[in-house]
Amino acid sequence: MMQEDAVMKITVAGDRKEVKDGITVAELIAQEKVETPEYVSVSVNEEFIQKEDFETRKLEAGDEVEFLYFMGGGC
Amino acid sequence: MNFNTKLLHGKAVKPYADDATIPQISQVSAFQYETAEEQERVFQHKAVGFAYTRVGNPTVAAFEQRINELEGGNAAIACSSGMSAITLGLLNMLCAGDEIIASSSLYGGTLDLFEDLIKFGITTRFVEHMTIEEIEPLINEKTKLIFSEVIGNPGLAVLDIRTIADYAHSKGIPLMVDSTTATPYLVNPIRLGANFVVHSSSKYINGGGNSISGVLIDAAKFKWDFEKFRALDGYKKYGPLAYTIRLRTDIWENMGSCLSPFNAFMNIVGMETLGIRMERICSNADTIAHALNEIDGLAVNYPSLDNNPYRELAEQQFDGKGFGGILTFRAGSKEKAFKVLNALKFVTRASNIGDIRTLAIHPASTLFIRSNEQAKKAAGVYEDTIRISAGIEDAGDLIDDLKQAIRASREI
Repeated sequence: MMQEDAVMKITVAGDRKEVKDGITVAELIAQEKVETPEYVSVSVNEEFIQKEDFETRKLEAGDEVEFLYFMGGGC
Repeated sequence: MNFNTKLLHGKAVKPYADDATIPQISQVSAFQYETAEEQERVFQHKAVGFAYTRVGNPTVAAFEQRINELEGGNAAIACSSGMSAITLGLLNMLCAGDEIIASSSLYGGTLDLFEDLIKFGITTRFVEHMTIEEIEPLINEKTKLIFSEVIGNPGLAVLDIRTIADYAHSKGIPLMVDSTTATPYLVNPIRLGANFVVHSSSKYINGGGNSISGVLIDAAKFKWDFEKFRALDGYKKYGPLAYTIRLRTDIWENMGSCLSPFNAFMNIVGMETLGIRMERICSNADTIAHALNEIDGLAVNYPSLDNNPYRELAEQQFDGKGFGGILTFRAGSKEKAFKVLNALKFVTRASNIGDIRTLAIHPASTLFIRSNEQAKKAAGVYEDTIRISAGIEDAGDLIDDLKQAIRASREI
């Protein structure tokens, strides 16, 4: 019998979502189909995560994630 | 992916509307929204979007992303000119009372800017050679930045980027370099430790001498001491991203030196041939320099010449791809320099560099007209100096034109 992945609840861009337990920032960006992923800035509980840490930073239950756009031009 | 392929097919080269192969020119001031909520999210930076061309435009963003990819930076911000890129880049991180240590081998306009900044309480201390030995005695608690050109214009001093970047960082100071004369073709200063790269993209990046623009690329790797860098007060939570975020959302946005969408388009079109133009330009400059070096009494200056003190550094730092497109020689007097220039048949008397046309100018009476004698000499500009910016014409024709002009200047 296949075990389902454990899930956890986090807030992403103001919306409560259920995601894979221990999802990384990079995985979340891909899952959310973030526009211009190469230029997105990510804050977790108002802490800005450096791009080189996207692959390794794991999110925790209750985290509040914001995708912010400063780098790619635009507003 | 190598350089020329990346210019055309890099990640920054996206599918454009209507499957166009190059971006449209968004020649528009503002962008409309279906809902106020959506517009609010864009202003909060929570959604990708454009609002007003002074603060962002799709064509400008396309240019920014392309140059950012070529330089290996975190983000690029395009400006109305190279000088505005430098000005805003400095004002973004400096306050009254701060000091810059800079090479004296700089473009005259940059020297003039540093002079202007004195009245804003920002002092620049110059070194004749960008070496640790000369920089070290000038460092104090007020020093906030080290600034240099990668290849000095027109003194042609070549910066040892890695050595100076490492030294600057050991002192808690970032390094900003103007890489206009090197371009991303010869070197990516960020990969060698530079924190900020500025370009007058009016020059080689545009390539056609048709549009004025500038761009600053931030590596976003400097670990800011927010107690020391008071200008970034209020941006501490962004960490290394603080500089770009303050520049884009505050200084650059408020001071209004945005880039025209049309100019951004012309840059995109021009930069697609940056690699092949630089190959030709560097080859021509090298050939011209060696040919003129055979003539007695010209004191030709170009990094690839045998006696040049920067030859080995340039060879290594630029990976053997070339030594840049600028060379100088000395005509013997201001009068003779003017005779040389006036006798040129198709080498063009004009004040820019990095054009596809070969250009010539007398820097002392033009670009450095506001500099004092000491500053001129430190920048490698003498009363008889002629600067050549090599273009893409056939080298033999260029040499013939220059030689006949030099002969004409020496006729009694």
